[in-house]
Amino acid sequence: MNELFSRVIRVQWSGLLAVCILAVLALTIVSPNFLSEYNAFVFLRSLCVSLLVAYSQMVMLGVGQMNLSIGALGGLVAVIVGGLMDAWGVPTLPAIAIALAAGGVAGLVNGWLTVRTGINGFIVTLATGSAFAGINLGITKAIPFYNLPADFVAFGNGRLGPIPNLLIVPLIVSVLLVVFFSRTVTGRHMLAVGGNSHAAELSGLSPNKAIIEAHALSGLLAAAAGILAVAQLGSAQPSIGADWLIISFAAPIIGGASLAGGSISITGTLLAVVLIGLIQNAMVLLQVDPYWVTFLLGALILAAVWLNRYRAVRVGED
Amino acid sequence: MTVQEPIAAPSSKWSLSGLLLRGSTQFGLLVILVVMWVVLSSIAPGFLSRFNLNSLGRSVAIDIVIGFAQMVVLATGGMNLAVGAIGICSVMAFGYLLQVLGLPIPVAIAATLLMGAAMGWLNGIAIVRTGVNSFVVTLASASLFSGAMLILTRAVPYNALPPAIGEFGKAAVGPVPALLIVAVAIGIALYVLFRHTVLGRELLAVGASERAAQMSGVPVGRTITIAHVLSGMLAAAAAMMLTARLAAAMPSVAGDDWLLPSFLAPVIGGTALAGGAVSVIGTVLGALLVSTIRSGLLILQVGNFWLPLFLGAFLLAAILLERYRALLVQRHRTRNA
Repeated sequence: MNELFSRVIRVQWSGLLAVCILAVLALTIVSPNFLSEYNAFVFLRSLCVSLLVAYSQMVMLGVGQMNLSIGALGGLVAVIVGGLMDAWGVPTLPAIAIALAAGGVAGLVNGWLTVRTGINGFIVTLATGSAFAGINLGITKAIPFYNLPADFVAFGNGRLGPIPNLLIVPLIVSVLLVVFFSRTVTGRHMLAVGGNSHAAELSGLSPNKAIIEAHALSGLLAAAAGILAVAQLGSAQPSIGADWLIISFAAPIIGGASLAGGSISITGTLLAVVLIGLIQNAMVLLQVDPYWVTFLLGALILAAVWLNRYRAVRVGED
Repeated sequence: MTVQEPIAAPSSKWSLSGLLLRGSTQFGLLVILVVMWVVLSSIAPGFLSRFNLNSLGRSVAIDIVIGFAQMVVLATGGMNLAVGAIGICSVMAFGYLLQVLGLPIPVAIAATLLMGAAMGWLNGIAIVRTGVNSFVVTLASASLFSGAMLILTRAVPYNALPPAIGEFGKAAVGPVPALLIVAVAIGIALYVLFRHTVLGRELLAVGASERAAQMSGVPVGRTITIAHVLSGMLAAAAAMMLTARLAAAMPSVAGDDWLLPSFLAPVIGGTALAGGAVSVIGTVLGALLVSTIRSGLLILQVGNFWLPLFLGAFLLAAILLERYRALLVQRHRTRNA
């Protein structure tokens, strides 16, 4: 029994999965509406943007850095994609490609500044985040772009039974990320640098290169999140991304990523986003004050951090 | 006051690099500020009007204290993302104590300061006990604090505060707003704390090297907790100053908006993120720079929408310049060695 216990707690996301299953069971019992097709659709759709946002930060945590500009970057890309389609009449796919590229470039800027100046990534991305938000607001004057192509909006609203079309994107990204971090040299190098930058350097890896690549990837993911948010809302709101900061850190940390770097869990992050989505959904179904979500998110992060430490101590003792 | 090693005078007396080497960050900031003021007042005569200076003074006073709230934690090498959350909690607590409970103003001020201190204490204890990075702990506690406040108050503002609060917000001694006097008084107290008291030196020692401080007998855990208590009190003070300026307690005006200003003022002013060095005067100048940019954009009718871009660019420029300066100093030392 004891052996089983210690084996179970070795799988990082086992507890999270159990909590998610319990939450689903509890919600099914308490609220019959939970399993209705429409609610399932709403719930699944609420996960799409959050997942990409969480991955965007998770990549940074993997390399031992952080990115405070994810929300601002996503908002800027949202406005770019909206502006391209609305004001300039660019067709959907080229607009998405350009917007993704813009996100990647913004990420490269973040990475280049961090590496070149040797200044804490926290302060660099705080500054660039402010700059991105300023460009966004300066261009749009806080006025959204509404006239988006019909096919784009239809994709954002479409569904197959309870499954939203949008969900395809984060699912593909999840698989790609798993392959990237477990099978590709670049991905392994990022984790190596995050785990021990000095040792990685002595083994002939370039920490600077890994950090720049991680920032570029983080920018791409944040851009994808911004584009998805536009598709979901049906309009390019300049306020997109303004509330992403907490969730971007909460999900990977609850999912078991170490802030020190080198250790991330894609499954854990996914389950954490599901759990947060369940909490938000429960608040709506049970008509509880939505402010509780903010409160519970803080409590969850603290609990997760504390549990992770406890587990680290347990596993270390074995 | 920056705790730095004295820099040997460079041989080339009047070169640009020489000036960069000798001048402190604070001096550089002062030059930038003077240039901005001259330019702004020549383009827009309204900049130096009594009205504009008064509103500038009142907003800079609050920015200064927000910057201090972050600075005291930066000194120990940590950070406090909950400055804004403690701020909004304090705004609403202050409003509640005055309007609903009808407490006398001094009692309400003391109680709000105490509440800010208590929230800071919780942060400090959580950081020291769990050994978890202050970034994560304060990110989580910010969510906890503001969530709890919103649940309790439902974000309904308190508009019927005693008139004395609003009057104090508008009051001025000669041309100097009363709020600015409060900020300067707090600044002097912090200056004395960091320069002349054991606690201040311990805060900096912990920031410079936790291990070395521990070995020299500094109670590291207690010192970090005290820094967070101070930070909470300062955030509460800034919150009450904001309440006085607006003559109402509104949750929407504080909070997330404090994150950037709280880091801008100390970091531009030369407080090291790594800890161990603070500059009270630099933080004041940094806050002044932020408010000058804001007021200048307003006067030039560029619009507030571009403000974040300018603030971000200035922050980047400031850290790049500081980095370049550090490199120059290092190169100079190597050459002389």
